[in-house]
Order: sequence, then C-alpha cells, then structure tokens
Amino acid sequence: MTFPTATPTPPTAADRELLAFANSAEFAARDLYAAAAALPAFGDEEKAVLVGFHDHHRAAAQALAGLVGSKATNLRDDAVFNAFRPRISGSNKSDVFDALRELENTLVSTHLSLVGSLDGTEGSALVASILNIQARHAATLALLGGRSLNEALSNGRAPLTPGAGA
Amino acid sequence: MNRYSRRQLLRFGGVGAAGVVLAACGKQAGVEESKNITAVGLMPEATKLPDAEVNDLVLLRTAASLEYNAIETYEAAIALGVFTGSFAEAGSIARRLLDDHRGHADAINSLVTTLGGKPFTCGNPRLSEVYISPALALITDDANENPALDVVVLAHALENLAAQTYQSVVTALSDKSLREAAMTIGQEESRHAAILAQALNPGLAGVLPSVDDATGRPKVATVPGAFGPLTPIPVTLGPVNDDGTRASLNLETPSLNAFIYDFVTCA
Repeated sequence: MTFPTATPTPPTAADRELLAFANSAEFAARDLYAAAAALPAFGDEEKAVLVGFHDHHRAAAQALAGLVGSKATNLRDDAVFNAFRPRISGSNKSDVFDALRELENTLVSTHLSLVGSLDGTEGSALVASILNIQARHAATLALLGGRSLNEALSNGRAPLTPGAGA
Repeated sequence: MNRYSRRQLLRFGGVGAAGVVLAACGKQAGVEESKNITAVGLMPEATKLPDAEVNDLVLLRTAASLEYNAIETYEAAIALGVFTGSFAEAGSIARRLLDDHRGHADAINSLVTTLGGKPFTCGNPRLSEVYISPALALITDDANENPALDVVVLAHALENLAAQTYQSVVTALSDKSLREAAMTIGQEESRHAAILAQALNPGLAGVLPSVDDATGRPKVATVPGAFGPLTPIPVTLGPVNDDGTRASLNLETPSLNAFIYDFVTCA
C-alpha cells in the first residue's frame, strides 16, 4: 500500500497572505460576538453561547496566526466588522441571530475558498477544521433564531475577497 | 568385583539413551498420528495483498461509500417505523438528511467519473460490518426500550463520522479543487450533526459542551469545540445488559483497511 505523504506541508508565501486575511476576519468575528454578548436583550444562557462562539473565533484567529508567523497582524479586518456591526444592535434577538448566521456563512464560504487555494496542507487542514465548526455555528444560530431546517442547512453567502471588504 | 569396566558402562548408557530418543520420535502403539506435530515450524503460503495506491480516486470512492452507508442507515431507520409521536419531527429531519446524502453521493461519484474512476454505489463494507450492522442489531433488539432515540443517536454519530472523514482527507487529496469540493460536503455533514445534536440535547443548554451531573458523562454538544475533532466517536446503544450497562461502539474514520481501492466492488 502506498499512502500519500503523511507529513503536512507548511504554508507557502502566498498561503501566508491568505491565512493572514483569515486571521483578521476571525478577529472581526470575535469582536462582533463581543458586541452581541453585550446587548441587554440577551439573557445569561444566550450570552454564554455567544461568548462561547466568541472564544471559538478567537482560538481560530490565534491558530491561524501561528501558521502565518510574523505576517499576522492580529488585528480585526475593519471592513468585515463594519459590514455587520450595525445589525448587532437593538432588542430583536432573531435579527441579531440572523446577522451572526450570515457572518458565519460568509466565513464558511471564505474558508472553503481558501481550502481550494492553499498549497500547503498545514494551512488547508487548519482551515478545514475551523470551517467545520463555523458551519455548526451557522446551523445553531438558525435554530436559535427560529429559522427553518432548510435555512440551517444551506449557505447562500459569497466568500470574502482579501482587501475587498464584506 | 565389577563385571563391566567403566568404558563398557558408558557405551551401554549411550546406546540406551539413543533408544529412548528414537522411541520418542517413532510411532507408538494406540496413539493416533497427528499432523500437528509434523506441522510445527511450517507456515502456510501467504496470500499477497493486491498492490494498491491510496490516491485521490480511492479517497473519493471511500467518501462515496460513506454517503451510501448514511443512505442505507436512514432508509433502514425510516423503514423501522419508529418516527412517531414525539419523534415525528426527527422523521422529517431524517428524510431531509437522506435526500442530502443522495445528492452528496451523486456529487462525489460525478467527480470520480470525471477523474476516470468507477463510481462506488453501495455502503463501505468494512464500516457496515464493524459499525452499522452491529448498531442496527442493537437498535432492533426486542429488549431495547427506545429504538427511536437510538436511531437518532446512530445518525448523529454517522454525521459526525462523515464530517470528520471529509476533514481528514483534506491533507491526503493532491488536487486543491478536490479538497474544496470535499469540504463543501463536509461542512454540510457538520450542519447535519448540529441539527441532530439539538434533537438529542435541545436548546441553549445543549449548544456548548456540558456534563451530565447524574452520570458525570459528557452530554451531546451541538458545537463540541473551536476546531473540528478527528477523534473516535463513542456511541451507546441497545438494551440495558444484566450488569446495568449498554453496548458501546467507537466509530473511527476509514483507514487502510476500509478504503475503497479500485479493485473493491459492491457485492
């Protein structure tokens, strides 16, 4: 039996550019969840879930930074943050869950695009493990927002393009 | 006075010892001849395994086989007629997920065909043998008190297994576009797993990892952590045994003994 090389290959220089963008997009998501968890509309149980998702995005950003190395800015992508921030407000919880679901679906599409672009398998393996969780975030937010099964299972969002904003 | 010299005694002793050894090696009256004795040290001729390479086609055919495992399991579960009463909604979910898996199987086999391979259109034989058949036998055991719940537990485990399998092949696929195609389906399996996790442990309390206070065991979590796991998936199913426990299975992603090589065909 011949198995493909078991040793993951490190990111190339071009990979690091893409992973650095993902790093900043994940920090934007972290800050958007922080804003959501601070809304008075949410009770303690809801806040616990929002903080949990916030922590997942922070962990993803930190893991990506580990692969990017010195090129990682470790700063949020303001274009992504600003695109969603106005909808993380008010007292209508379903609207906020919808905005966060769209954010998650956007990140899933972005990470899928990255998996198809990255040369090094260290990067693609990490991004695959991140997007599998963010798909779960999106499905969960659909259920919490009272959306249909079909909305929980589907994703119509386009991927982000580095430098182009959300 | 001695009748034999010391040299003669040694000579006779040697002849006697040789006789004992020969008697031990020879046939004995009343003892059936056994081939086991003469076979000691002999090895049967080994059958050489076919030379196989784990390439993109093998990985995709393996993914297709998992989709058929899911299809066959959902079809069997629906045929059991257990999705009634409080499990009626689980039945609707099962039918939707079954449709998704049919679509996934077609999509993967389409890629297989494009790459010049043979589509694989049945469940993975190894996974059927070691996981699914034993699990279904436990679920349909007459002594099982809640087969409907166990069907959802098994479906949840299979969805997690599928999501993990797609995630795990990303580093093995040589073609980047195939990695993206695999994860496009993989993330849908993750969504399936999340929906079924909510059926098993509903509401906000079921979203993040938690522990059952009574048993000390982890509860089903909709989102188990920050990164998709690649660990064995424990499943507890079937009737309660005499010792008060239930049977457990540990599902693991396919490896060398479960890959669908080009010489593997549906029975």
